[in-house]
Amino acid sequence: MALPQAVFFGVDLVKFGIDFVNFYALYFAISLTLNLEAGYTGIPNFGKVLYVAGGAAVAGSLSGRLAAYVYGINTHGDYVTFNAQIITQVNNLIASDPVFATELVLLSLLIAALIGAAFGYLSSYPAIRLREDYLGMLLLAVAQFFQIFLRGFVPLVGGTQTIQVPDPYVYFASLGIGVRDLVAAAVISVFAITVYFFAEKVAKSPLGRTMRAVRDNEDASRALGKDDASIRRKVLVVASAMAGMAGALVTFYYGSVGADTWTRFAWTFWPWLIVIIGGAANNAGIALGALFFTALFKGLAQIQVLLPPSVLSDPNYIVDIAFAALIVIVLLVRPEGILRERPTLTLPRRKLVMIARSSSTQLPPAEGDSSTREGGGKLGRLKSLLGRILKRRGSADSAR
Amino acid sequence: MVVPYFNSAVVYASLFAFMAIGLTLTYLTTKVPNFAYGSFVTIGLYTSYTMWKINGIAPYYASAVAFLLAGLSSAIMYLVVLRPLARRGSSLVSLMIATFGVDFGFVGIFGIYTDYLRNRYNLNDTKQFFQLQADFNLGEVPGIVYVAPAALTLIALLLYLLLTRTKFGVAMRASVENPSLAKVLGINVERVYVVSWILAGGFAGMAGAFYTLWLPGGTSTGSDLIVEIFASSILGGLTSIFGAILGGLVIGGSEIVVGTNLTTGFGAIGAAALGVLLLLVSVYLWRLKKGRARIVGVAGIVLGAYVFLEAASGLSLDPLVSGLVGGFGVEAIAYQKAVPLLIMVAALIVMPKGLVSINWRKLLRRERKK
Repeated sequence: MALPQAVFFGVDLVKFGIDFVNFYALYFAISLTLNLEAGYTGIPNFGKVLYVAGGAAVAGSLSGRLAAYVYGINTHGDYVTFNAQIITQVNNLIASDPVFATELVLLSLLIAALIGAAFGYLSSYPAIRLREDYLGMLLLAVAQFFQIFLRGFVPLVGGTQTIQVPDPYVYFASLGIGVRDLVAAAVISVFAITVYFFAEKVAKSPLGRTMRAVRDNEDASRALGKDDASIRRKVLVVASAMAGMAGALVTFYYGSVGADTWTRFAWTFWPWLIVIIGGAANNAGIALGALFFTALFKGLAQIQVLLPPSVLSDPNYIVDIAFAALIVIVLLVRPEGILRERPTLTLPRRKLVMIARSSSTQLPPAEGDSSTREGGGKLGRLKSLLGRILKRRGSADSAR
Repeated sequence: MVVPYFNSAVVYASLFAFMAIGLTLTYLTTKVPNFAYGSFVTIGLYTSYTMWKINGIAPYYASAVAFLLAGLSSAIMYLVVLRPLARRGSSLVSLMIATFGVDFGFVGIFGIYTDYLRNRYNLNDTKQFFQLQADFNLGEVPGIVYVAPAALTLIALLLYLLLTRTKFGVAMRASVENPSLAKVLGINVERVYVVSWILAGGFAGMAGAFYTLWLPGGTSTGSDLIVEIFASSILGGLTSIFGAILGGLVIGGSEIVVGTNLTTGFGAIGAAALGVLLLLVSVYLWRLKKGRARIVGVAGIVLGAYVFLEAASGLSLDPLVSGLVGGFGVEAIAYQKAVPLLIMVAALIVMPKGLVSINWRKLLRRERKK
């Protein structure tokens, strides 16, 4: 079995599509976790790369050692030096052992989540105490140090040379070119969708509203008995755990992990860009923002057709400049993003319909409502009720 | 020289003091931590590199050009990005993310520029180059060891005179203290801000040009230096230019002294002294904290006593103490940036307003009364 090919102007569309989905789902998930922190709770996390890289490095480093240990492969006491040989053997064995491959992925995800959560817990200490600007500087510096540490600390991920990790998708690689990446894309997409539903659930829950209260007015929420420190800590721990898991998934997809992947541009700035473009504190907006970002990134990367490596060694330079201009323009022209933050409805839609049905007779008819009521039915009544709720909230928001 | 790494410590300390002055100036005026600040250092780096490799002009002369170029870039960044955003009423986080984005753009520009240099002049080390062999020697000592601290002293003196003896300097201080009142008094606050940004970028560029004489550089050098620059400024309190100089000196000096000693070893006496230092700090922490937080102090006391006893008795058996005494080897050089980071974290916890905010006389008197 091989995937169909559809070559269009020298670009294999199927391969391009799989690549696109992988990239999109990955950045969608990471941006959602950033949105929980920065969008909903107001923690300016300028060190996002730290949590992703932490999860990726530890999961990538441990999974290979673990597999070598389970299969009894001789590491000669120096895992990093003999890494390529070890991983080749591991991959040969894993190809016929899908149960172990699944276990390995799940265990690595767990480890990555724990590492991410631990980093998140540690960074909650300054996050509770420091002002935004100091916190931003501190997290940025810590994340930058972590990359320098990864470069220098050879036993973990091999320093500047990357090390390979076991490929849990290796079974699918034998099925045909591109099938492996397709499966990886499916796994990352499932992860991203799970994160999305989780983030939506949190945002609509009482916790989500408390998060916004902490963000908008710390003193007022404190006066109402909300523990802002514990909320910040919870959000950082959970969001960082998910970021760590995303990092582990990246590692398995790439098949290798090293220090130089984890730049603060690719893993801190890009998620921030997506959150700003899509709209802070709006998960659907993040989905659109990530789509816009991925399309722009993948599109601009095609520039290498025009400028071969002999002229421009890395097409991403153009992308860098374009993104820098983009974020300034977005912040100037439409700082609220594609979809602005909306007030949440505290009840599920079903209950609102029931309320609308039972109370529609007692409600005094509002102006302009008659047409919708004549249009009739459940939908019209719901619309008018929701419209009124939203209108009231909107005016309350603007008054604040 | 008495201590072999003395030169390195002097150069590092002076360069970080330069960079910290600039970052503090931008923070003072616009109240935004400039995440793109490292890129101004890289501008200086490449100005110096280009002028030396292509025209054979020594980095000392290039530093003037670097000052202008980086200062100009800094002013453009302020005028094109930050001022419009601030006028629009953007939040602090928006401004921070904008400077972050601009840094990204700078890195792209450096990438294109280095590609151009490589293609045009057939240079193969544009992305990552070694220390430029362009310095003069005075006796056994390279010139930069004299020039960097001398330049720092001169700049500090000039800044002092500017801020206290000239009308413009007084206007500058007024605009920092209270912009609206300054405006009422007829001070052109905008012009003051632009000048501060030019000076800030200029100092970074100058430091970048000097940097090429001492250390290898590359397109990501400025980005990596951000750890030390932030640490220096925060240690200085972010609001005082002379605090920034002090912070830069402390950070640069301690990074080299501690980092070098980690690789070559402190010796038995040094390790024992470290143990005593840890012990004293932990006792202080233990006295300061109540309840569960005292665990940190107790752990520090135990560790400090252990290190002291083992190092002093010459029985260093475990890798930690024997590493402290005999050195951890060359690999440990990678972790020397942990020193500024730890100082920064400690400064944020103990004295968030920086070194200059501490009233030493009062502190000493209080300790004596106890």
